[in-house]
Amino acid sequence: MIALVAIPLTLLSMQQAGRGVIAQRLAGRVSPQIASLVEELGAAASARGLPIDPLIQKAIEGNAKGVPRERVATALRLVAMQLDTAAAALRDGGGGLVSDTLAIAAGEFAITAGLSRSDITALARTGANAAALTVGLRVAGTLAALGVPPAEDIGLVSVALRSGEPASSLLLLPANVQSEMAKGVTPAQAAAGLARAAAAQARHGPPPGHGGGHPHPPAPPHP
Amino acid sequence: MSGHDFHPLIKQLLDGDITLADLPAELHAEGEAALRLLAAVDRTDVSMPAVTWRVMAALERRRRRFLPWLLAPALAIAAALVIWLRPGTPPPSAALVTVRFVLVAPEARQVSLAGTFNQWDPQATPLVRAGTTGVWTATLTLPAGQHQYAFVVDGARWVPDPGAPAVDDGFGRRNSVLTL
Repeated sequence: MIALVAIPLTLLSMQQAGRGVIAQRLAGRVSPQIASLVEELGAAASARGLPIDPLIQKAIEGNAKGVPRERVATALRLVAMQLDTAAAALRDGGGGLVSDTLAIAAGEFAITAGLSRSDITALARTGANAAALTVGLRVAGTLAALGVPPAEDIGLVSVALRSGEPASSLLLLPANVQSEMAKGVTPAQAAAGLARAAAAQARHGPPPGHGGGHPHPPAPPHP
Repeated sequence: MSGHDFHPLIKQLLDGDITLADLPAELHAEGEAALRLLAAVDRTDVSMPAVTWRVMAALERRRRRFLPWLLAPALAIAAALVIWLRPGTPPPSAALVTVRFVLVAPEARQVSLAGTFNQWDPQATPLVRAGTTGVWTATLTLPAGQHQYAFVVDGARWVPDPGAPAVDDGFGRRNSVLTL
């Protein structure tokens, strides 16, 4: 009986605490109307297990750039929608990754950068753990922003995730693609070439003196 | 404190700055006596009167009786603080990386950097003009991870970094992306 009362009360108090955190972070940074919208969207997002930080950041960014309130509100609703899409994509990928808010936020970034729900699901299906997948999604988004088409992008990041590359190697992929592009190839060719090289290395092992891939990637960087 | 005033060399001996052999012959006897006195003081047990133990034991019992009453609210406050502060707390293991930002803007009078790392504050991170070449630079130490940013030229114009990948900012502009 006590538990029946205590659990909803606890959830309610945590939701109130979440609203308090949002209000505290937005105090003096955005208009009261935008703060109120972020609190409303944030409470709904929290209830669905989604991260609230992307909403807070977008509101602050909109205010700093002097964007009209209506446009900030539209952008905030889009972020909330993309968080939902990212969570659904991770759910489709299986492995219980949908409960990881950092992975969901990384998926939201990948969608902003131009990747689709099915691209995120494809990366989630590599079997990478939440930490590695979070880095993989951020890197895939960065590659998309560099102009790498989704097929080559997901191909390259999937190979790296499946071969158990450490986070530090994954984070080098955008620089490696840029370096190939500087030689005159297209982003697609650069990514495809690197994917082929990574796949060959995974089959035959690293070249002498390069050491093996780490089977347990370290914790991801936190934006 | 005693009224006895030792010779300065004897004081140095007692402080361990010199040894007995360093003393002049006429001070040897006094030095040995002083060392014996010091050894005797070190060996002396300092006893507390029985009444003191009784008072201390009573206070200890009283403290133990109050402990559970003090502990419960303290734990509740600690748990509430953890829930309250958790979302905003940065991860303790985040490594730091030093990054140099460069923008060529010969016509600009002032350039700054705004992004997720400084709450998009256009005043927080000004760039410095390198000579008269129109090259503006800033070197920052940022936590490893992903950051979005833009240059702010003359306090009004938001410009993405031409040397970095960029994404739609949702407001009709582009944000540069830095993955560390």
